[in-house]
Amino acid sequence: MSPSRILSTILFLFLVFAVQESAVSLIHFPVTGFSLYVAVAISLIASEDNNGSLVMGFLSGIVLDLSPTSNSPFGQWALVFTVIGYLFAVNKESIADFTSSPITFVLLVAVGTSAAFALDLGFGALLGEENGSIKHDLIIALGNGLWTIIFAPIFLPGLRYVRRFSLTPKER
Amino acid sequence: MTQGNGNRSRLLLVILIVTALFFITLDLRGVSLTKGSRTVSQTLLAPVQKTVSSVFSPIGRFFNDVANFGNTKSEINRLKSENSALKSALVTNSDIAAQLKQLKGVLDLAGRGQYKVVAARVIGRGTSSSFSQTITIDVGSADGVSNNMTVASEHGLVGLVKSVTRSSSIVLLMNDPTFKVGIKITRSQSVGVLSGQGNDIYTLVLLDPAGTIRVGDSLVTNGSELNRPFVPGVPIGQVTSVVNSSSALTQTATVKAYTNLNDLGVVSVVVGAPKTAPTVPIVPTPIPTVTVLVTPTPIPTISGSPTPGGAASPTPVVPQSTPAPVATSNKKK
Repeated sequence: MSPSRILSTILFLFLVFAVQESAVSLIHFPVTGFSLYVAVAISLIASEDNNGSLVMGFLSGIVLDLSPTSNSPFGQWALVFTVIGYLFAVNKESIADFTSSPITFVLLVAVGTSAAFALDLGFGALLGEENGSIKHDLIIALGNGLWTIIFAPIFLPGLRYVRRFSLTPKER
Repeated sequence: MTQGNGNRSRLLLVILIVTALFFITLDLRGVSLTKGSRTVSQTLLAPVQKTVSSVFSPIGRFFNDVANFGNTKSEINRLKSENSALKSALVTNSDIAAQLKQLKGVLDLAGRGQYKVVAARVIGRGTSSSFSQTITIDVGSADGVSNNMTVASEHGLVGLVKSVTRSSSIVLLMNDPTFKVGIKITRSQSVGVLSGQGNDIYTLVLLDPAGTIRVGDSLVTNGSELNRPFVPGVPIGQVTSVVNSSSALTQTATVKAYTNLNDLGVVSVVVGAPKTAPTVPIVPTPIPTVTVLVTPTPIPTISGSPTPGGAASPTPVVPQSTPAPVATSNKKK
């Protein structure tokens, strides 16, 4: 990833983060909330190559760590998204290029979203966080995955366009 | 992955994980750099949240109303636009009216508890990217708000102030799993600890081994030393079920809160508490009822001569001395 692309990605992630914190979080979704930011971040991670997934994961995690309402220690989301990036990088080779199949892509993003929440829960438990009942937390993780399945087809085309726009000629 | 590329990826992975762990360690050790970054992002986000919140809530309702206009296609354009404008104004007014109603309730509760409060509008809800339960309000240190202050709604306790910037504050809601508050049962004055579970269910653990909890018991805050973080006497909720376990030393119960945390528009931050704890438990009844106490009067005697029809013509006898005026008081339920 080129430095200019890293910068543009960070700015884009900040924009999504601001939308998430100021608008999306005001909406009461049934069952559980929907995190647009996590879904977008996972989609970007999934779209990158091996090293790109790792860097993108780390960057998107750092931006989420800036969330003033988060009760996790700073860096926990960076760790979670780096691991998710690694999982995508490793499995990309075994699943082949899933980005060309929209349904597979949406499903993997949804699974990635739920996995990110589950990992955050796991790391939080290791660090001694209190996150309430396991059942309730699992509902949040799975619910976010379900909402991602519903909303990902809406925002993914735009997201792919923005990403293509940010690619350098060499990366294209 | 080729050999070289794979090694590079692994090295990158290790570097990123070590960096993340480094940040976590710094944060857990309380380094101000990481705390400061969140304060900065809160400061930057607060104006955006204020704007979006003030625009978003009427617009959200407006679109719901506009959706009902599907069967009025035959209306001429002028009427349509006029209707839309009127609807928009109506939605905005009803939004303001709802907020005013909540504000009235909040001030009513604060007045009964003799709390000095700062009213605040909810401009944001906790992100869905974490398991913590928070709201963002539009008052901050410039309004006299500081960390660990009690936040209440018209019905009772909402939470406590978690972090403050100049113009906004983040409130940790009482249903957050990390939230714990000392309570007092109004009936028996037994004390206990209430904790959030991340949802609408709260768990109460009684500290007094001899104390008992009954379904329907009302709970109020017990208060903290120097009234931080909790002022005494703020209504919390009602016991819905009691868990009786022979192995437990004390009783536990589940509690339903008076405040619906999903429906918060206006809240108040208690910036000053009464010098003495409220002697009468405050339960959330926003409208006080007037009770008239009447002292019994002497039974009037009836005198008179029979009428041709045989019925007596009653002549009321006015008592010689009218009792003292009726006592009127505002009785709190």
